[in-house]
Amino acid sequence: MLSLLSYVANGALTGLLYALIAMSFVIIYRSARVFNFAQGEIVIVGAFLVWTFMSAFDLPVWVSVPLALLSSLLLGVLIERLILRPLVGEELFAFVMVTIGLLIFIRGVVLVAWGPEVRFFPAVLPMAAVKVGPLVFDRALVIGAAVTLVVAAAASWFFNRTQLGLEMTAVAEDHQIALSLGISVKRSIAVAWGISGLLSTLAAIIFLNGKGMTFLASDIGFAALPVALLAGLESIGGVVLGGLIVGIAVGLAAYFLDPIFHGGVAAVFPFVIMVVILLIRPTGLFGWKTIERI
Amino acid sequence: MTLPGGVHAETYQQDRALIRTRWQWLWFAGFVAVLLLLPFIGIGKAVGIATVIGITLIAVLGLQLTSGCAGQINMGQSAFMGVGAYAAGALAANLHWSFLLTIPIGGISAAVFGAVFGLAALRIKGFYLALTTIAAQFIFTFAMLKLPKEWFGQSEGLRLDPAALGSFAFNTDNRIYYLVLAVAALMTYGAWGLMRSRTGRAFIAVRDNDNAAEVIGINVFYYKTLAFFIGAFYAGIAGALWAYYVRYVQADQFTLWLSVWYLGMLIVGGMGSILGAIIGAVVIRLLQELITVAGPQVADVLPALGGQFVFAAMNMLLGGLIIVFVIFEPRGLVHRWNIVKESYRIWPFPH
Repeated sequence: MLSLLSYVANGALTGLLYALIAMSFVIIYRSARVFNFAQGEIVIVGAFLVWTFMSAFDLPVWVSVPLALLSSLLLGVLIERLILRPLVGEELFAFVMVTIGLLIFIRGVVLVAWGPEVRFFPAVLPMAAVKVGPLVFDRALVIGAAVTLVVAAAASWFFNRTQLGLEMTAVAEDHQIALSLGISVKRSIAVAWGISGLLSTLAAIIFLNGKGMTFLASDIGFAALPVALLAGLESIGGVVLGGLIVGIAVGLAAYFLDPIFHGGVAAVFPFVIMVVILLIRPTGLFGWKTIERI
Repeated sequence: MTLPGGVHAETYQQDRALIRTRWQWLWFAGFVAVLLLLPFIGIGKAVGIATVIGITLIAVLGLQLTSGCAGQINMGQSAFMGVGAYAAGALAANLHWSFLLTIPIGGISAAVFGAVFGLAALRIKGFYLALTTIAAQFIFTFAMLKLPKEWFGQSEGLRLDPAALGSFAFNTDNRIYYLVLAVAALMTYGAWGLMRSRTGRAFIAVRDNDNAAEVIGINVFYYKTLAFFIGAFYAGIAGALWAYYVRYVQADQFTLWLSVWYLGMLIVGGMGSILGAIIGAVVIRLLQELITVAGPQVADVLPALGGQFVFAAMNMLLGGLIIVFVIFEPRGLVHRWNIVKESYRIWPFPH
């Protein structure tokens, strides 16, 4: 019974970490109508930036983490300037393909810049486990869950209450219409990619804190997909709930199904959930419903 | 598209013909001769490279039909290929069936698997659909590693005997090359014919606007599922050939990464055109080979780049090409080729 409870609680915490990455997806989608397949690679670039500043340049934590966050923000803005700006107003397919191209390209750059070796990611956050009654948690995940909640509240406020946030929402509806209303599509996409780059690095710090990492850790980008879909790709608050549901479901699946399949269920179960969501309710729990016209 | 000067169709047969002029026949015959004689005139690894290109071409053609022609983005082509490889491999390794049966069965199994994920296409579109096909990829890997060992060998994979007709075995590079060439030619001809038929036109209508297609009486659900069925069938055939070529099947050979490469080949070659798929598969594969050959030499000259340079350079090249093509030439190399052909035909006039 106790171990079941521990599976559920840890699943929920992991789900919230996925929610943080899913939020990067949602922010880009919600303000630019671009679905960023390269998200996982951007997380990895963020992770390597932190590693470079801390372990290779030997800078203290309070310098290197802000530096890494700033560089990943700049990376996001750079991607907008070089790759997405020429495509404003193009059809969806071009954006899907260009982010896939980006995915492959960034992986190549990461391999050239940092190589394929296993690196030890510095412990930015305290490593000691947290004990709540009989349950034991990874402290980084607990901090991460709190960060997710704060970021979700802030982003939700930004997109629903501020002028810039509402303008960005209009861009997600339709580039042409947003342009004709005098909204800067370029600025909207740049801001979205900047924020998303920042969140990715934050997620990388929480996810990899004190662990070994290689460029393959970018798979986390795909693992966060089901969370974004369950929430609906336009809902920021929904991502938190989506993360909790997917995390707990995966925890339960791992507890009950792992003995049957000899492990590995946790890696594939989110995708089973994803297919089910797509078949039953493609807009997710809180996504926008669109009416199509010819 | 204009025809060469003075060529007019006078009968329906002439109008339907794929090859219309004497020069086209000559070029075609020359091309076929080069392909057939490749094992005798090819140098070095030419035959091996051509075999891999042939198998890749079949998978990319299938992807072209699903994604380029019918507009259903598919990021699970390598999983579909894997299903074909495993189906053919299991029948050949466990039951010792002939390749004449196992290759088509591999294709059909992949087609059924693909169509199941394509069923989702009725309700969801665009990249949502891409996401179900990504899920197909992960579910495929999990299933192949977990299903009973007597079927698919789990993590050990399957080992195959060479394809054989009676006592004649396709066990050398040259023999397997001819097998792949024959199948690839048949599949290319099939794709070409399909796109000139009612089904092909229905695919294009569904791609351009599926609501409008529904209104003019095209059964959108049927054609979307069919697009996945046929595309996955091509992938399955390619997978089965792959199984007989390397004679070893393992889940790690069929990654999401491979599917992404296939999509990249389509973008570079040109979406929605059979010739585009051929150009894309050949050009990207040759570039890959070039990097594999030239990479270590570059790494020798500039040791700072490290041993991973070859793999990294391939990724940077393909990723860069996709981005450049989407931004500057979304219709791909085949569009460039058509422009060149057109201006040659109407020379010296500009229009």
